[in-house]
Amino acid sequence: MAEVYEVTVWTRGVSMDKEGRDVVSALAKAADREGKFVQAFDNYEDLPDRVGVPVRKYARISDEEIVMRYNYENENPDVVVIVDAALVKGVNVLRGMKRGGVLVVNTNRSPEETLKFIPNKDTLGAIACVDADGIAGRATVDFSGTEGGVDASGLGAGIAAPLAGAVAKATGVVNLESLAAVVANREALKRGYEEVVVKTI
Amino acid sequence: MFKIPKEREVPFGGIVPAPVGENRMMVTSNWRTYRPVIDHEKCNMCLNCFLYCPDACWHEDEAGEKMVWNADYCKGCLICVSECTTEALSPAHELDFEAGVVRLEKLF
Ligand code: SF4
Ligand code: SF4
Repeated sequence: MAEVYEVTVWTRGVSMDKEGRDVVSALAKAADREGKFVQAFDNYEDLPDRVGVPVRKYARISDEEIVMRYNYENENPDVVVIVDAALVKGVNVLRGMKRGGVLVVNTNRSPEETLKFIPNKDTLGAIACVDADGIAGRATVDFSGTEGGVDASGLGAGIAAPLAGAVAKATGVVNLESLAAVVANREALKRGYEEVVVKTI
Repeated sequence: MFKIPKEREVPFGGIVPAPVGENRMMVTSNWRTYRPVIDHEKCNMCLNCFLYCPDACWHEDEAGEKMVWNADYCKGCLICVSECTTEALSPAHELDFEAGVVRLEKLF
């Protein structure tokens, strides 16, 4: 089977749920425009309808058709994105990560400061810190787009835009142009791409 | 009357063993981004935080002289901060503190 590139996003239930979902949707849609096979999904395992609870969102990108039946979780992510930096204290966010993976964190702290809270950092190939809150303002609290509803505020209107930009810069899995075609806040997307601080480990 | 055989009995509450005090299997501190920090000088022991906290995370110490915060179960809703009568409580970002790492492998 072809290599499947796995993106796992850690976010918080309700308050930042849409932002997490927007990151995986934006990356998947952008990769789709580049002719890749993609999936973007979440599941109910983390019981996401509780404010602040750590929850995950997933994307898969591949050059060939993705055949992963009955597997609703990315078991070996290549990239892990942290929508709220405080999550690194509460969960082993690198669980299952492939060696040389990339961790992208929404924080105004430096990579060194953030790494203090990651004891298993040896797995990482790089850490990327981007001040998505600072670039796009606080997380959009918006239920639209949830459970099949119409997404009124658009994909990547909030902090998801700079985070997706940071992922593009740090990993190269999609390019900025294809992201710009799907993300609502292009300015924030571009700033995330340009301002992200990447540290190779 | 229908009787459940002894070996098929399920504890009340089912999945998580009912806690006597705190349930170590349901630590919820990783829900919070900000934690409330108390300034004991300003606190007048009005007990508003104790009354309003939805997670019972504030209580008096044994001498009844100061308020004690429970770091393991505070979800960081900051209701206590807005209900405090003396502005003794203020929010601080979780990453400003080295302690309080739970790092769960599995959420449940
Ligand atoms: S922040 Fe919320 S959960 Fe934490 S102590 Fe205050 S009221 Fe309780
Ligand atoms: S609400 Fe404020 S003043 Fe009242 S007991 Fe709690 S910390 Fe002290």
